[in-house]
Amino acid sequence: MSHTVFHGHNVELNEEGFLTDPSVWNEELALVLAKAEEGLDQLTDDHWAVIRTIRAHYLETESAPMVRSICKTTGLPLKRIYELFPSGPAKGACKLAGLPKPDGCV
Amino acid sequence: MPELDELETRLVGLTETDIQRGLEVFRSKLKAAEASYLNSCVHCGLCADSCHYHRMDSTLENIPAHKLELISSVFKRNFTAMGRIAPGLVGAKPFNREMAKAWVDAVFGRCSLCGRCSVNCTIGIALPRIFRAARAALGTMGLVPTDLQATVDNSLKHGNNMAVTKDDWVETVQWIEEELQTETGDPGAKIPLDKQGAKVLFTVNPREPKFFPLSLLASAKVFWAAREDWTLASDNGWDLTNYGLFNCNDEQAGAITQNLVDAMERLGCQTLVIGECGHGYGAARWEGPEWLRKSYPFEVKSILELMDEYLRAGRIRLDSSKNPIPVTLHDPCNLVRHGGICEAQRRVLRQAVDSFIEMTPNREHNFCCGGGGGQLAMARYKQRRIRSGGMKAKQIRESGAKIVVAPCHNCIDQLMELNKEYKLNVQIKTVAEMVADALVLDA
Repeated sequence: MSHTVFHGHNVELNEEGFLTDPSVWNEELALVLAKAEEGLDQLTDDHWAVIRTIRAHYLETESAPMVRSICKTTGLPLKRIYELFPSGPAKGACKLAGLPKPDGCV
Repeated sequence: MPELDELETRLVGLTETDIQRGLEVFRSKLKAAEASYLNSCVHCGLCADSCHYHRMDSTLENIPAHKLELISSVFKRNFTAMGRIAPGLVGAKPFNREMAKAWVDAVFGRCSLCGRCSVNCTIGIALPRIFRAARAALGTMGLVPTDLQATVDNSLKHGNNMAVTKDDWVETVQWIEEELQTETGDPGAKIPLDKQGAKVLFTVNPREPKFFPLSLLASAKVFWAAREDWTLASDNGWDLTNYGLFNCNDEQAGAITQNLVDAMERLGCQTLVIGECGHGYGAARWEGPEWLRKSYPFEVKSILELMDEYLRAGRIRLDSSKNPIPVTLHDPCNLVRHGGICEAQRRVLRQAVDSFIEMTPNREHNFCCGGGGGQLAMARYKQRRIRSGGMKAKQIRESGAKIVVAPCHNCIDQLMELNKEYKLNVQIKTVAEMVADALVLDA
């Protein structure tokens, strides 16, 4: 179990850096995770479009969206998603959107 | 609740009945050869240097012979006359809560079932088979780490290990088909779904449609160029993964394999082609008939073998100058050391890229990337996984290559993390992606 400091409070992350409790997520925390976990100093509008799309899908279905759905909703091409989140849609974008770690080979 | 506590709670709650059931399952998984292996280790220590865990962190717990000793001491105590009569003389130990905890740590937490210790063992002890028997015993006691079991449960419930719905899968395939048409300039280029009587049923890792569909696009482009008669299944039977190989529950593994067998029968295909995946190939090609207790009425091939055949038969042509960046090749343990697919990917790569550099060591002597054996699914062991992957990171850096080709999506995910953690500054690709980029297309 690791932690990241947020507004003076410790937020609990699992060993992979995913939020232990996805319900504590907010956009300020996404910025902290971006810095702590992905080394991103700031998030662009495109980053936010992806993160908000993933978050909305998660709140509705309790699962991560297909990358197809991310591209369709945001209008961003696939290659742009990989540029925005070098760790990929799962360990990059979904992590910043506060989702639990997806199952499978990721 | 944090997962560590869940597993510890289950350990604390173990009953004598659980322990006895574990022992029964453990014994039932040992054939005569494996039982004799449990009395064979001479503690020469050669396995220590063969193991990537021990090479990167030389504690006693990481020595394969030490992991084996935990298991053989229980075997001796419960299943041998000397172990019952004089346990102290033969190193026999009881199977209790403490020992179950040590087993979990050894066989789930410090082993990727890569088999390199076995290849280097002076007497050829098949350690992975014994560790799998131990995992099976722990499984029957409810001691499989939750996230590893969740991956198996997804396959059993949804027909694929990431719980992708049929609609989402089909939509992604159609999207990639449009991309294929754009890329080839051929409006007739298809990714056939449920084509009855197609020669080849192709299968993929759910990670591809879910997050990384460019590898599916590359495979489809190769099939298109070779004019292959192929199809994907729209429902159960498109996912090649089988984490039953890692939780070691043979009944669950068999049920997952059955999805592939059913799809082959439903669609009347001749060849089941496994996409680039180490454990998926091993599970479908070698273990599946054992789990189902019957031979398949069809052949199983890796897409690597198929691409090799296309090149030999002149069905595709490649221009290696399209891939000028130096490439090295990672050998996935389940595909190469366990699976026997060793040269096909090399023959293909030599034609697909200008500069192909072997890692050292390679082929059946390769080091595991650290992500095998279900490690990638078990969050609790992440730090050990990244640390043990240091051997692979070193091999990659020493090769001098700037692209690492890995014919396994599980390895690719681990290599992406190693790339970041060890600052390797390489690209990571599948063999099909290199082939697709080198294709010479008829005018």
